[in-house]
Amino acid sequence: MTIPAKVRRSWLVTPVSQPERVSAAPSAGADVIVLDLAEFVAESDKPAARESLRDCLFPAKSTGAEVFVQIDPELMLADLSAAVWPGLDGIVVTRAETAEQIMAVDAIISDLESRRGLSPGSVALALNLETALGNHNGFEVSTASSRTCCLSLGRADLVMDLRPEPSGEIHLMQYLMQRLVTLASATGTVPLGAWWRFPDRGLHATPENTLEAALRGRAIGFKGSFCVLDNQVRPLNEGFTPSESEVAAAHGLCEAYASATASGTFTVLCVDDRVLTPDIARQAANTVAFSEACSTRDRFKIAAVDGVPIPVP
Amino acid sequence: MASTPRRLKRSGLTMPIVTPRFINNAWHRGCDFINMDLEDSVPPNLKDVARNLVRESIPVVNKGGSDAVCRINHDLMEADLNAAIWPGITQVNYPKAEYGHEIERMDEIITRLEAERGIRPGTVEIGANIETAVGVANAYEIVTASARVMDFGGAAGYDMSRDLGVEMFVSFDQFVYGKGEVELAARAAGREPHAAPFTPNITGSVSDPDRAFAEADAARKCGFRIGGGLHPAVVEPQIRGFASSDDEISDAQWVLQEYRKLARTGTTWVQIDVSTVDREGSPRPMGADSYLGRHRVIDRYEASRAEELLQWRDLCRERDEEKAEAVARVRASEAE
Amino acid sequence: MSILVRRSNLIVPAVQERMIRWSWQRDADAVTIDLQDGTPAAEISRIRKTLRQSVALAGKAGAQVFVRVNAEYVYADSAAAAGPGLAGIVLPGAECADHVADASAILDDLERTHGIAPNSLEITPSIETGAGVWHVRETITATPRVKQVVIDEAALAASLGITQSADHDPLVYARGRLCIEATAAGVQPIAVADPMGTQTGQVSRDEMIQIATDSRNLGFKGMVCGHPSWIDAVNEAYTPAESLVDYYTQVREVFAQALAAGTAAAPFAGRMIDVPVDEWAKDVLAMSAACAARDAEKQAARQATDVWLDAHPWDQ
Repeated sequence: MTIPAKVRRSWLVTPVSQPERVSAAPSAGADVIVLDLAEFVAESDKPAARESLRDCLFPAKSTGAEVFVQIDPELMLADLSAAVWPGLDGIVVTRAETAEQIMAVDAIISDLESRRGLSPGSVALALNLETALGNHNGFEVSTASSRTCCLSLGRADLVMDLRPEPSGEIHLMQYLMQRLVTLASATGTVPLGAWWRFPDRGLHATPENTLEAALRGRAIGFKGSFCVLDNQVRPLNEGFTPSESEVAAAHGLCEAYASATASGTFTVLCVDDRVLTPDIARQAANTVAFSEACSTRDRFKIAAVDGVPIPVP
Repeated sequence: MASTPRRLKRSGLTMPIVTPRFINNAWHRGCDFINMDLEDSVPPNLKDVARNLVRESIPVVNKGGSDAVCRINHDLMEADLNAAIWPGITQVNYPKAEYGHEIERMDEIITRLEAERGIRPGTVEIGANIETAVGVANAYEIVTASARVMDFGGAAGYDMSRDLGVEMFVSFDQFVYGKGEVELAARAAGREPHAAPFTPNITGSVSDPDRAFAEADAARKCGFRIGGGLHPAVVEPQIRGFASSDDEISDAQWVLQEYRKLARTGTTWVQIDVSTVDREGSPRPMGADSYLGRHRVIDRYEASRAEELLQWRDLCRERDEEKAEAVARVRASEAE
Repeated sequence: MSILVRRSNLIVPAVQERMIRWSWQRDADAVTIDLQDGTPAAEISRIRKTLRQSVALAGKAGAQVFVRVNAEYVYADSAAAAGPGLAGIVLPGAECADHVADASAILDDLERTHGIAPNSLEITPSIETGAGVWHVRETITATPRVKQVVIDEAALAASLGITQSADHDPLVYARGRLCIEATAAGVQPIAVADPMGTQTGQVSRDEMIQIATDSRNLGFKGMVCGHPSWIDAVNEAYTPAESLVDYYTQVREVFAQALAAGTAAAPFAGRMIDVPVDEWAKDVLAMSAACAARDAEKQAARQATDVWLDAHPWDQ
């Protein structure tokens, strides 16, 4: 997907078992709040977390964020039963591994949608390909359900035990990230992730490193990323939004291309020492379009904070 | 998590079996394995001679405690296996693996020879090496073709370069995709990846001990456990590079201690600035300037990694003692 | 098996008639006339009328001539080009076997109606989307007409929603996959001469040799050149250097002597020459001979044609 249908730059993962973090999450400004039942909730706390989940959904949307719930596929029935209520935008499946597993998740969601009065197909899926098998099966996993909107590597560095190389790059990650971006494009889904480097691990980094990881991530095709701390949200929003200077340059290229083609005698032309071809013009048009979508999303979130209801873009 | 291989393969020498002075001197070098080569280092007119040498070389190689391993020829698989599968052989290395059916055929032959020659079933492992584009394209089919494939890697090196028509020893990593495919296939199949971080080698040296140490050290820190080489000068540096340091061991014990504390609190992770931790205590974390960094997260992942490190330390120690005792026994009997 | 030598492929927009007229003079192994990018919709019919002449012109110094068709008009564009001197078509945006098979059926038909030898026209799929990269195996093995496959990096980046910059290379995976899958299928992977989409026509010769050498060292067998000034450098980088040829000639001699003396390993220039080294030497010498033969072929074609002119539109 060249330009994602929805702007989802920052996905803040918040453990449902920590009420103070759940209530603080909306003020962080994330495009998506991920209420987590899987990764950061101790086994013994899970029953209570599931109980409390339904009442967390609407409050989490108070600042205009979408709300996803992150589930453990081994506990999919219990986790989905706790999560699929009106207000839910989607489910994040950790350790997504096989097509059968995703079809089972899809079927349970369909059943719950119908019983609980959600419109059919409204709950989206974001799949974390965190295991080697999940990545290997990526195409089948990604196409197993029409709900699937996003793919990510989640915390693959931990799940697959991928450690930093002497260069600071995390072993195998360059390959896995670019593979995922290609796979997402091939299956019409949006690739999520940031290009983390040592000492970052498991979505965890300082705000400065998060910004750098987001900028690098965007450069290789990611459109947003998960994070685990409130102070990572702003760097993700910033890093995944085209900068003003990029947008200005892209506008320039689009205009130059438009006037060159309008004359009917388009030739290869150079703008700022760069050859302007139709594909470079397409890249620039994408930047402009995504920038506009980000502005619309940001205006919606500001309006939500101000209490002004405006329609979802 | 990095699974610990059943057999340690930190260092090993690949040498032409037709050169007796290499084979006869390799046993006391301290290698985890010795790879008796029937392939590239044996000229075509000596392949028959070479095959006849394997059986009698196994005890020579074994006497210092090294595992006896044999690299066969891709195109002479049946004859070579027939010559190589004898008691004492732990692994057969298969070069230029391209299709799953090749590995299935190998498995059948090995299974038959194990039975005929009194080797416990499943003893002999297969090392499948990917050295062509076709092999990369079929990586998953190859690694899953037999449960014996316990060592799977390649997608770089001489033959791979020749197949792609590229020069060797350039300054950038030419094989990101192929190595990625092969490692992903190994991991997806649940096998130990035979991989290493990329370090540019523009000289092509195979005997530089400093380089061998640096590569093994980087591989260990990255979680890899398999080494090997061509020159005796790299054996000791590899063993050293794959060994955990005392500081790392103390660090792992500290991680486990902190994780036990954490587990009692019900939270799943905590971050600790190691520069604030008492550096005199024991166990203690590595310093803030170590390769593990200053801000350390303690969670289930780090705990399992620490456990694995301690197990690895024990395995290395046992293996080194085993080899040292074997060498001492030979020396003692020679002295008599 | 003979080696296909198609190191440089000059791509020229079909609408640039002046450039097409001169394209034969630049010593490219191939010329591709691009009907897709840069052709105004209003011009397409007019361009098709003269396309056969353009093909003949572009090939008169021995370059193989391709036409990059519009993905939507494969039949009309291919039919307009079919005739003497056409080597094949470049198929933009190919991303599955069906795309290539459909185009192949069209070429079957054109070969019959134009008296062209069956299955002689090539199809070069141009990989421009994530799906194209993912499904490259089925795409390039759909028909034996595929001898080369090209990765159009700027188009691919646009399709992935990426704005290319020199700081982070987003296409390591795509390039690697193409090289591996193409080599495995016996198809030549072809790069583009402005890998980051950021080069201007003013790249120095040394820079272009480096760019071409790096791409050759990933496994590519040639490059599409958007500017004629790059062709020379690309031809050079993809031809085994004289020093290398000398070295491997000696390697073969040393090894032959060793074999005659009853051994298969002999020291030479600080290195042990054995079977694998001799095999490598054979590869290099075969490639060198094939390049020399291709160059001689072009030379002969050039001598049979008009004199070289001095001024080129690109130089103005």
